Formats: sequence, C-alpha cells, structure tokens
Amino acid sequence: MNDAAGYSLRRRLVWLLTGTVAAIWLLSVLWVYQRAHHEADELLDNQLTQVGETLLAIVAGGEVEHFVKELHEHARHNPVPIAFEVWLNKDGEARRLVISPGHAGFETGTTPGFSEHTHQGARWRFYAVQDDDAEYRVVVGQSHAARERLAREVGLSLLLPAMLALPLMALAVWWVVSRALRPVDAVARQVGALDAQALTPLDESAPLPNEIAPLRSALNALIRRVSEAFDNERRFTADAAHELRTPLAALKVQAQVALRAQTDDSRQHALTQVIGGVDRMTHLVEQLLTLARVDPARQELAPQPLDPAALVKEVCAELLLQAQRQGQSLAVEAAPGCTIAVTPAWLQIALRNLVDNALRYAGDGAHIEVRLTRSGSGCTLSVADDGPGVAPELRGRLTARFVRGETDAEGCGLGLSIAARVAALSHAQLEFGEGLPHAGGGYGFAATLRFSDAAIHG
Amino acid sequence: MRILLVEDDRLLGDGLKAGLTQSGYAVDWLRDGEAAVAALSTETFAAVVLDLGLPKRDGLSVLQWLRGRHDATPVLILTARDQLEDKVRGLDLGADDYVLKPFDLDEIAARLRALVRRAHGHPEPVLTLGEIELNPAARTVTRSGEPVELTPREFDLLHLLLQNAGRVLTRRVLEEQLYTWRDAVDSNALEVHIHHLRRKLGNEMIRTVRGVGYMAAAA
Repeated sequence: MNDAAGYSLRRRLVWLLTGTVAAIWLLSVLWVYQRAHHEADELLDNQLTQVGETLLAIVAGGEVEHFVKELHEHARHNPVPIAFEVWLNKDGEARRLVISPGHAGFETGTTPGFSEHTHQGARWRFYAVQDDDAEYRVVVGQSHAARERLAREVGLSLLLPAMLALPLMALAVWWVVSRALRPVDAVARQVGALDAQALTPLDESAPLPNEIAPLRSALNALIRRVSEAFDNERRFTADAAHELRTPLAALKVQAQVALRAQTDDSRQHALTQVIGGVDRMTHLVEQLLTLARVDPARQELAPQPLDPAALVKEVCAELLLQAQRQGQSLAVEAAPGCTIAVTPAWLQIALRNLVDNALRYAGDGAHIEVRLTRSGSGCTLSVADDGPGVAPELRGRLTARFVRGETDAEGCGLGLSIAARVAALSHAQLEFGEGLPHAGGGYGFAATLRFSDAAIHG
Repeated sequence: MRILLVEDDRLLGDGLKAGLTQSGYAVDWLRDGEAAVAALSTETFAAVVLDLGLPKRDGLSVLQWLRGRHDATPVLILTARDQLEDKVRGLDLGADDYVLKPFDLDEIAARLRALVRRAHGHPEPVLTLGEIELNPAARTVTRSGEPVELTPREFDLLHLLLQNAGRVLTRRVLEEQLYTWRDAVDSNALEVHIHHLRRKLGNEMIRTVRGVGYMAAAA
C-alpha cells in the first residue's frame, strides 16, 4: 500500500465525493445568485413603478403642498432610497414642482417608461410617468450602485450558509467513507497478521459487504492452496531426508567394511557394494529431481493437442535394451488417431516411469505390454506385466511417495508418484489393476493412464 | 557373540553383517519383521539390531512382541527418522538403545558391547575372574597381567563363560550363541575350544558339569 503506485481508497473517495459535490454546489449557488439578482432587479423596478404612479396620483389630485411638507418631515427620520422629481408642464413651460429631499435634481428630462442615464457620475435607472393630458410628470430614479448592493446582499445571504456547509460536508463525507471502509481495514489487519509459517484461513463467520466478501473467499482459497503446498513440501523434505539416510548408512558401513577387510575377496565385495549403493542413490536423486521438475510452475511448454503414438514407441524403444538385459519382453501396440492435451515431456516422464516400474518389479523373464488405444471420448495408455502383481488393498497406497509394494526388488518408490503427478496435472486418471495372467495362475500388475479427449480440455 | 540383525535394506544389511562379523560377532541377518519374530521365538541371541521400517511387520511391533513375552534380549534400534517422538516411542516400547542412520560401524559395535555387558549385570567394561581379565572392546585377555593369545572363537567362548560366571551353560546355549546358522558346527568343535582355553588359562578355570555343560568359576 505504501509503494509509489498505491493510493488511499479513502482519500480518493473523500476527494472525489467532496470535489464533485462542491462543484455542483458552486454551480447551483451561482445560479441562485443570478436568480436572486434578477428577482431583486424586478422587485426594484416594481418599486420604482409604484412610487412613480403613486406620486403622480398624489400630485394630480392637487395634494402637492401637503405632500411635500409631509415628505420632508418624514425624510428627516428616514432617508428615502428613491429620488424623484415632479414636473408641471403648463403653457409650454416645464417647471420642477417637487424634488425629493437631499436631492439636487436630475439634469435631463426623461422619456416616459424605464431608461438609464449617467447622473452625477454614476449610472442610474429612471422611471418616468405623466398624466393623460401631460400636465404633471413624475420621474423616479435609483442609482445602480444601490440596486446592486441590494441584489448582492440578497445573493450573499443565500451564498454564505452554502459556503459554511462545504467543510462540514467534507467532514461528513470523510466520516461516512471511513465507516464504510472499516471492513476493508479489518480484512487488511487480518491478512497482515497472517503467519507465513502457519497459514490459517481468515475467519469467514464475520459478516462482510458483498464487494469484499469475494476477495476474502478468494484469499482463503489461495491460503488453503498455499498451505497445502507448504505441507506437501515439508513432508516431502522429511521423507526425502529419511529415504536418503538408509543408503547413506549403507555406503558408510560398506566403506568401513572395505577399509578393515582382511581378505581381498571381502574388500572386493564391499567396494562393489559401495558402487551399487552410489548407483542406487543416483537413481533416487534423479527421481527426486524428476518429481520436482513435474511442477506446473516450471512448465516450459503448455499442454498441446498431441497424438502420443510416436512418443509411446520412442520411450519403449529406449527401454527395450534394459528389458532384454533382464530377459524380459517389451511389446508395444500404439494405435494412431488419439489426440490428447498433454505436455510431451511430461507424458514421456510418466510413461518411462510406468515401464521402468514394470521392468523393475515384474521380475526376470516377465512380459510387459504397452498399449495405446482409443476408448470412448478419450485415450487409454496402459502398461501391463505378468509379474507377481500387487494385492488390491495395497494398490491405493502405491502413489504415495517412497512406498513400494511387498517386493525384494530395488527401487526408491517414486516412479508411480511421478506418474500420478503427471496424471493430475494433465487431467488424466491413473488407475492400477490386474495385468497379464502369469504362470502361477494369478495376474500381474497394470497401470493405466486415461486421458479425456483433447477437445474437452484443449 | 551371536547377534540378530533385522534390516530390510540389502546394501545396509550386507554391510552391517560384514562389519559386525569383523568386530567379532556372529551375525544372523533377516530382512523382515515376521522372520525376526519367528527366529526370536525359538533361538537365543546376545542382542538384536532392529531396523524400524520393516516389511510385513514393523520394527516397533517386533519389539513390542518381544517385550510382551518378557524377553529381555538387548535391542538396538536403527532408524532413519530423527523425530524425537519416534525415539521416545522406541525407548518406551523397550528398546535399549537407539542409533540414527547413517552411523559409524565402530559406534554400533561399541553400543552392542555396552548393551550386552549391561544385560549380564557387568557395568564395568572389563570382565574379571580370578587372575583372568577380558576386555571385550579391545578383544584382549590377560592372565596375571600377561597377554594371552586367543583365536576369535576361543575369545567369544571365554567371553560367554565369563559373562555367565558361576552359571552352568548348556552345550546348546553355547553353540547357539557362538555359531550362526551358516556356520557348520562340528560335533566336537566346542570340546576342542574348551580344551585350548584350559591349556592357555589353566585347567581349574572352566569346569565341566557332566551331562549338562560348562561353567566358569574362580579357582
């Protein structure tokens, strides 16, 4: 979370939410301000019209003297926001009849209706009205500055609470976001507290929002897989150490016997045994490495559709010499036309181990048959021998590492584990059963790899 | 001294048999637990060297069976498992000693000597009777401090007699303890060895109990 590419979800949410809301807020406030300004204008214009009309009514009604007196009296206490003049047009001569208190008089006569002029160095808005026979004329005016001040006051009174509310809203957003993100923090803490040595899945009983629950499930699935792989690895290391100790002990003892031997014969025997022991350990180490190599992470080639007939013949040809040395016969029947999805190198490893297994344990002079056949929607590769066979109750344990049947033959007990591993990684089934009938009346051993058609997994 | 070796690994069994034979033991080697039980139920061994991972019958089960019939034959366990719990379990089941593979041949021989010594109630490594002293580790014998030359078979016979000093050992027990199944036992070979021992160590030391066997006793 602290690396350069990371960012805080909380901060981003708060900024985005606050920013977006603030922008919308600002736009709406501007709009409200505009509207307020406009409404204020209209209101003031109405005021001008009313004052003008009223004045005209008063002067036309002949109440001029009294009105002027009252007005001046009133203006002493309350400044009048609107300036006005009343003109009398008699015998072609216009005469200013009344003028609002504290007012010097307008320079120009104005046309009836609204108009705007510069008056005393400022912009004013005027409204002029006259009676029907154009005898009396009333002009009312108001400075733009005054109007503007009023409109702004109205606008600001609306704007201010909005401005004050903005930081409050940001705080609220921060609080809400933090609260909503609390489960994320909780999961992060749980993951942070995981012990690499003893991986335990996160507690799934605690309720989580739908957005995060899948993350936890996926994480738990991963934890289970990883800890299984860990256990496997640990057990494998322990098993391997165990399996290496016996041949090492044998080598050491045989070497010591050779050192102390009093006769050439016994020294010769012990040294021959030492060499045999080294060969055996070499085989064990090679098998361990093969097992380690059959690992999806080290797969150089992805499984590809393949007709394994040629490969099967090739592997059997390689092992034919070994079979002949042991007086065994190795027959191959590989029908073309199967297509399976498999990594060729792995299939080679699996088959070589199955055949090698038969050569090792079926005994001298045994017959071994390798058959590749189409079966249903898939392909079957079987290696059968007429050796002593394996009791059904023991067959289930054969793929466990370092487990060998009840046999005297040399072997390290990894061949079938390797084949099983390839099968598992190639979506194939490895089955054990009865092989070819042998002279004693029973059956030998058979290992069968069943591949489903490439089209299914390919 | 006759030892039963139970080890399924061909190479290790072969080496141990050869090595222990070099150290002066008569070694019988079996490769599975059931054969070991069969042998132990009919014959006497000075000690058993027992591997744990055996076919047919596990080493621990053989040990359990042996102790179950109150057989106190010393048992030395060989194992490739280094977990403490395995060790504790083996010792709890009545093993006398425990050796982790890979081991040293000399160490096995020395531990076997110690086991046999303790089993016969001789905590000190050297056996003495009168003026005779026998050192099993060095395989030397002295009489009044003077070294006495003995053949390996004579040494083993004297060793047996001294371990059981004051007790009568029957011919059968002596032969069983001295010879492995492979050794062809000449009918009067035992008498010949006894005769040689008497010549080298004095007539009085080994008494003949007529119709029963022999006994070592201080003159």
